Amino acid sequence: MADLSIDFASVQLRNPVLLASGTCNYGQELLPLTDFARLGGLVTKTITPQPRGGNPPQRIVETPAGMLNSIGLQNPGLEAFVEKQWPLLASLDAQVVVNIAGFAVEEFGQMAASLEALAGIAALEVNISCPNVEAGGDNFATRPQTAAAAIAAVRSRTQWPVIAKLTPNVTDIAEIARAVVDAGADAVSLINTLVGMAIDVERRRPVLGGVTGGLSGPAIKPVALAMVWKVAQAVAVPVMGIGGIATASDALEFMVAGASAVQVGTASFANPNAGVEIVEDLHAYCDEHGIDRIASLVGSLR
Amino acid sequence: MIDEQARLLSNREVAADFYLARLNAPHIAVRIEPGQFVNIQVGAGIAPLLRIPLSVSGVEREAGVIEVLYEEVGPKTRALSQFGPDAVLPTLGPLGKGFVLPPDDTHVVLVGGGIGVPPLLYWGLELRQQEHQTALLVGARTANKHLPNKLLTPAADAVRLATDDGSLGHAGLVTDLLQHELAEKGSCAVYCCGPHAMMQAVAAMCLEAQVPCQVSLEEYMACGIGICVGCAVELATAKGDTDYGRYARVCVDGPAFDARQIKWGNVWPT
Repeated sequence: MADLSIDFASVQLRNPVLLASGTCNYGQELLPLTDFARLGGLVTKTITPQPRGGNPPQRIVETPAGMLNSIGLQNPGLEAFVEKQWPLLASLDAQVVVNIAGFAVEEFGQMAASLEALAGIAALEVNISCPNVEAGGDNFATRPQTAAAAIAAVRSRTQWPVIAKLTPNVTDIAEIARAVVDAGADAVSLINTLVGMAIDVERRRPVLGGVTGGLSGPAIKPVALAMVWKVAQAVAVPVMGIGGIATASDALEFMVAGASAVQVGTASFANPNAGVEIVEDLHAYCDEHGIDRIASLVGSLR
Repeated sequence: MIDEQARLLSNREVAADFYLARLNAPHIAVRIEPGQFVNIQVGAGIAPLLRIPLSVSGVEREAGVIEVLYEEVGPKTRALSQFGPDAVLPTLGPLGKGFVLPPDDTHVVLVGGGIGVPPLLYWGLELRQQEHQTALLVGARTANKHLPNKLLTPAADAVRLATDDGSLGHAGLVTDLLQHELAEKGSCAVYCCGPHAMMQAVAAMCLEAQVPCQVSLEEYMACGIGICVGCAVELATAKGDTDYGRYARVCVDGPAFDARQIKWGNVWPT
C-alpha cells in the first residue's frame, strides 16, 4: 500500500482527506456512519465568540449539480464548544482542525487566545468570510488588508498552525492569499462557497430565508480547481483544496494542481462515508500507478 | 442507523402522481418506528445530488420490507419513480425521532393532508395493535389525489375524507372534520402531518380544545442526520438560554414534535 501521509504545515496527516467545515458538525452525528480513524482529519463547523441561532428557513436548496446553503453560522459559541463539543472531538483518532470566525479584528484574536490551551488541536482554520461590523459589514475575506488583519490577530495569539480559508468571491484570489501569508498564515484553504441565489417564480420570492446563499457541490469544482492552481503558484505555504470534491479523481486533480491536502464537504451530505471511500480509492489509484508516496503528486501538473 | 443497500421490490402509482415503493431493507425494517424516516439516494452524486427524505408508511419486519409513499413533484421524486424492481438504492435509516404514544385508552385522531398521510398510516397500524381507537381524517385537493381506501383503512377504525373541490367526501377542509371529531369525542390525542398551513391550523385547534397534538414536520433537508443544520424550524421556546437553541433540526430533533414546541405563524410563508 502506498504512503498517503502528508506533512501539512507541520500537521501530520495520515492521508490528505479531511471533512470540511460545516459538513460534519462536531463529529458526533457521523460516528455511526464513518470511521474517523481512516480519514486525514476533520474541520469543525465554524465557532464564533457568542452562540448564534442562524438564519431563518429555508436554509437549503438543491441547484444543478450543487446546492445553496444559508445556515448563518449557527453554532453554540466558543464557551459551549469547549465544554460540550471538544471532549468528543479530542477523543477521535483523527486530526481535528478547529474553524473559528469573528465579526471584528479583535474577536479573531480573542478566539485564538481562548483556544491556545486546548490540548490536541491540530490547527486553526480561520473563516474570514464573515462581515466586519467595524467596517460597515464588508466581508473580511474580500480585501487583502482586512483579510490580513484578521489573520494577523490570530497569528499573534496562537502557537497552533494557522490556515486561512479563502473566499472565491473576489477579483484576484492570489492577491488575498499573498496578503494572508504575509500576515503569518501557515497555510491556506480554498475555496469557500460561491455566492448564489434561487428564486421561487410562483411566489416571486427568494427560495432561501437568507435571500442569497453559498453554492457548493460538483458545480463549483472547476472554479475551485482553477483557483487552487493559481494560489499554489502564488504562495510558498501548503494549500488545502476544497470545492465539489466527491471522488478520488476529484481529490487527485486538486493535488496535481498544487493542493497538499483536500477537504470533502457537500459530498458527505449525499454519502456520509464519502471521505473514507475517497481514501480507499486514492490507495487504489496509487497502487495502479506505482506511486509510493502520494505527496509526490502534489503540484505535479505537467 | 445504517446506510443500507436497499433493493426495490415494487414501485407503482397508487393515486395521481402518488407512488408506493416497497424496499427490501432488513436492517432498517427491524428498527424503524412510526414517524421516523429514511433518506434514499436516487442519483450518482451529481444530479440529483441530495437524497430524498421519506417517512415510512409501513413495515414488514419479518420480511425485511419497508414501504414509502411519495408524490412525484420534482427531479428527485421523478428519478425515484423511474426505478423498477431490483434497483439498489442506498438508504439511510432509521432517522429522526418518531411519534410518542398517547396515554392508554386514548381515542386517537390522525389528521393528514396531501402527501403528509404516509407516516400516519404506519402509526395508525401500530396504535390499533395497541388497542387504541383511531380515526383517520384526510384532506386533498381533489378525489384522485386521495390514496386508495385499501391503503387507508388498515390504519384506522374510521376513515373520513375531505376534498377542496367536493369531488370526494366532505366538501371543504380536513380541519372541518377535525372540528367535528373534537366536538364529538372530547378527550383525544391528535397526530398530524401535511402542508404547513394545515398543521398550523390543526395545532391551533388542538391548543384551543386542550388536546395534545404532535406534528410531523417537513423541511428541505440535505443530509438527514444533523450535520448540515439545514432543516431548521423555529421553536416557540428556545432550548437552553442562548440564541443557539432558537432553531431545532427537523431531521434529528424531529420530525415529530409536540405542536406547542413550534413557533407557528411567521415561520411558514403562506
